[in-house]
Amino acid sequence: MDDKTKITITLPTNAYFMSGIRDFTLTMIKNTTSFPEKWAFRFQSVIDELCNNAVEYGSAPGTEIKITYVYTKDDYLEISVEDTGTGKNKITAKDLKKIFDDRRKADYIFSGIRGRGLVKIVGEWTDEINFTDREGGGITVTVKKYVKNVRQKITTEETNEPNLTFHNKITL
Amino acid sequence: MTDASIFTEDVAGTQIKIVHISGQLDESNVDEKIKEVYHVLELNPKGLNLVCDLEKLEYMNSKSIGYLTDLYGKISDAGGQIAIANAKPNILDILQVVGLTQLIKTFGSIDDAKSSFSAQPAAPTVAPVAPASDPASPVQPVPAQPAVPIAQPTEPQAPQPTAQEPPKTA
Repeated sequence: MDDKTKITITLPTNAYFMSGIRDFTLTMIKNTTSFPEKWAFRFQSVIDELCNNAVEYGSAPGTEIKITYVYTKDDYLEISVEDTGTGKNKITAKDLKKIFDDRRKADYIFSGIRGRGLVKIVGEWTDEINFTDREGGGITVTVKKYVKNVRQKITTEETNEPNLTFHNKITL
Repeated sequence: MTDASIFTEDVAGTQIKIVHISGQLDESNVDEKIKEVYHVLELNPKGLNLVCDLEKLEYMNSKSIGYLTDLYGKISDAGGQIAIANAKPNILDILQVVGLTQLIKTFGSIDDAKSSFSAQPAAPTVAPVAPASDPASPVQPVPAQPAVPIAQPTEPQAPQPTAQEPPKTA
């Protein structure tokens, strides 16, 4: 296998398809990357939350969302989810970054059923998150997780040392 | 719609109900499926002790966790308790990362979860909060404020049954 693998999937704006995407993600991470199995389940959730946001807010029914996985061997996994900007929330990447930053503050209190996914799942289980406006409309959210950080954490757990903390690098 | 099912079991002679949740709870089905649990609450508005048996639950998304948080608030407010039993490691992992295990105790078996109800009084109530915004839940949802700070980006510990007292919330 090449050192770099790129997979792109385009799917209709419908949550119905997410079960298949989660299955694919789990299998792909387990079989083609050096991330431990636990992380395959975590990336399954990361993908699901990103896509749900795109389906719910970013792309109108009848349009599409696009998922791109880039895995560089023993280095990192990058996942991008693009929407078309035709959905019910007409916001920019800057707006979305502000929502993310506000909810990430220690004193932010989550209320309601929704709103935890981007910060508490995507934010916690990735090392970098990047929001960009797409030409022609829509937003691309790109997240990255480094293999070395996962390995460091496993080593730390095994030796019973205090957990290392990897703060997300957020770029716009 | 993704496959998921929820059914309720009564524990005779007690205020304990067990909801067995299986399959995958996601965006395509959770609004519909969770009504079963709200229905149990509707029928038992006071002092309900609810065990969520997650032995056959394979996946849950953040909205499902939002509903569990809401149920925790409603049940606690009404003098009841809620516990989680038999969750798989990947489910415990996601419950931990969002901070729900700080509110709802998790156990390795249904019996342990049931025993915890008799051992401890009802959990302290959470503050009433903003009006409901999600029309999906049949009981008027007053989303609970978990008062859990956003988890710092640290690795959750290996999933284990927990039995600590739920934090008091203002």
